[in-house]
Amino acid sequence: MKRDISEKTRQKDSFSLLSYVIEHREIPLLGVLAVLLAGVSIAVPGYFTGNYMNILKNCSMNLVLASGMLCVLLIGSIDISVAAVLELAAAIAGVLMRDGKIHTMIGMFAVGIGVGALIGFINGSIMSFGRVLPIIVTLGMTYLARALIPMDFILGMNKIARIDLTEYFKEFILHEYLGIPVIVYIAGAVAILMGLFLRYTRVGRSIYATGSNEEAARMRGVKVKWIKVLAHVICGALAGMAGIMRLGYYNAIEKGAANGQEMYVIAACVLGGVSVMGGYGKITGVVIGALMIATIDSAIPQLFMNATMMKEFFKGILILAAILLNVLMQRAANKRNLKGRDI
Amino acid sequence: MKAKKALSRFLRWETMLIVLLVVLWLVFDAKDASLQAARIAKGRRATDIFNFTNMLNGMGPYLLYSFMALGMSLILGMGDIDISVGAIAALSASVMGTVYGPFKKAMSPGLALALALLCCVMTGAACGFLNGFLVTRFRELFPMIITLGTQLFYRGFCYLLLGGDTLQYKDDAAWAGLKKLYSGSVSIGGLSVPTMLIWFLLLALMFFVFLHLTTGGRRLFAIGTNRVTARYSGIRVDSFELCMFVICGVTAALSSMFYVGSVSATVRADAMTGYEMYAIAVAVLGGFSTGGGKGNIVGVVLSVIIFGVMKKGLGTVFGLPDSTVNLAVGLVLIASSVLPNLLEDLSNWRRVRRQHAEAKLS
Repeated sequence: MKRDISEKTRQKDSFSLLSYVIEHREIPLLGVLAVLLAGVSIAVPGYFTGNYMNILKNCSMNLVLASGMLCVLLIGSIDISVAAVLELAAAIAGVLMRDGKIHTMIGMFAVGIGVGALIGFINGSIMSFGRVLPIIVTLGMTYLARALIPMDFILGMNKIARIDLTEYFKEFILHEYLGIPVIVYIAGAVAILMGLFLRYTRVGRSIYATGSNEEAARMRGVKVKWIKVLAHVICGALAGMAGIMRLGYYNAIEKGAANGQEMYVIAACVLGGVSVMGGYGKITGVVIGALMIATIDSAIPQLFMNATMMKEFFKGILILAAILLNVLMQRAANKRNLKGRDI
Repeated sequence: MKAKKALSRFLRWETMLIVLLVVLWLVFDAKDASLQAARIAKGRRATDIFNFTNMLNGMGPYLLYSFMALGMSLILGMGDIDISVGAIAALSASVMGTVYGPFKKAMSPGLALALALLCCVMTGAACGFLNGFLVTRFRELFPMIITLGTQLFYRGFCYLLLGGDTLQYKDDAAWAGLKKLYSGSVSIGGLSVPTMLIWFLLLALMFFVFLHLTTGGRRLFAIGTNRVTARYSGIRVDSFELCMFVICGVTAALSSMFYVGSVSATVRADAMTGYEMYAIAVAVLGGFSTGGGKGNIVGVVLSVIIFGVMKKGLGTVFGLPDSTVNLAVGLVLIASSVLPNLLEDLSNWRRVRRQHAEAKLS
């Protein structure tokens, strides 16, 4: 009898590498990312060495948005208004800077985050207390935000251009410390803080609890409705922050500038193994997903001879294929898992 | 008891839509009358902008998204959503434009146009099929995420077909015939009614019969209410859902035909962006709850009219810019989805209070 048990544990030990990989879905994802990078590097010699900083820069805005989206997806909700919120926050902060009301970096970020958080609060409250599907609320909010931008008191018929911004602001975002631009530091800090917040704080654990079983979480004393609002506030605030980052990166903003960005954000999350039903997902996966999107984005023009029209097509098809493939992989893993437990 | 029944009938969504329509109409009419009075006081000639005949004549542009809204109501009735309808419409128009040129060289223009229109509808059906296939095979991802992805793909396809070009059909004889068919008007009892309105009402009638008078409609609402129960009661949920997505794609292709034929006579890759929003807004205002299992085509027709009146009134009578009109559309979408829930809360609260009172009495 004793031997039987020890045999079982030994079997479990030998099996543990595979189960570890299945538990931590980020590891195969990392492998896929490496294969992707290696493939493109072989097809286009000198691709990686010349481009890795571009990949990091491109992925940083997407990563900040995706960290916010992670929170929202974890509670089983979704926010497709992030691109519009980004534009609105950047437009308001840009106008304030143009009119000479803000001069400092911190002021810009405060305005952007404030605007985003306010819109996130409205989204979350309508979704949580009005019991409306999040997709409808955020679709409506996309329209509202895009309609607010051309109003006279915000942008009017103009757009924010290079001359409207202060020299310091333009310098700061792409200023390099130790060879790495500030924008990458910001994205890294956001990702790390989000990871710590979700893992080690009471509120962060409540977000997971709400997403995986709302009723159980409510019984345990989690204020489910307010957690939902909070997740939307975080998502909105990070979208506003990404708006300021974008303003510093491109030095311009206009209505519809980030059109379609929400899809890349959601794609980064889904590729990173975040469940859209809520309750499952990690920041490491999201980071890898965002890196994958940025790699695809920067590789396509190199592979297809700078055909911009082809780029949209292949980007769409690649992301769709990657998402579907991810689901198939997950199914295979689940099946294997169940088989291992004789179910 | 009779009064209570009358009250509940009054609180029905369609009745409220009619009340909303009347209120909007009165407000715009009053504003219009005051504008006329101001013009006359200044000694200029009065031109009546907002009246029934004008509204009826100018209904055309507001009917474009109504075709999509009909398809969208089927999807919403099942508790799904399809965000790719705008991209499907653009793709079908692009395919129609691309094949029309070669066809015209090979045969007579009329036949070429007919074939091109057929291709347009086929494209819509194919896109709908792809959507439906992915939605039914990949249940882990919600329809929303899948259609967000396919939207990107369809839009990319448009760019692949057309690049940045704009195809123009301003002086094409066959196209002029099409334009007459779509955007002309017939006179019925002294009023000139746009043909597009008649097409729309015919299509709406078909949808009404399907949704409210046949077993197909019952099945659809059954799926929307509870998918699992529907499956166990013998409905082939997957294939039925697939069919509905195909129908939704076809309605998107229809509205792209009307868009090209009547409004712009041009085909561009970035045409009709944001139309999915209008389609969803019209269907939701029409009473199709996004949770599925509820809705009435009569409400959708009413909400199409309300949207037309609202856009025309805000745009021409009040002279507001386009962005403000969009703001109003967004607000209407959110308000019309919050309001039913709040009404339900209110009636629940009243019922609970009444039960409490009855318990106290006994």
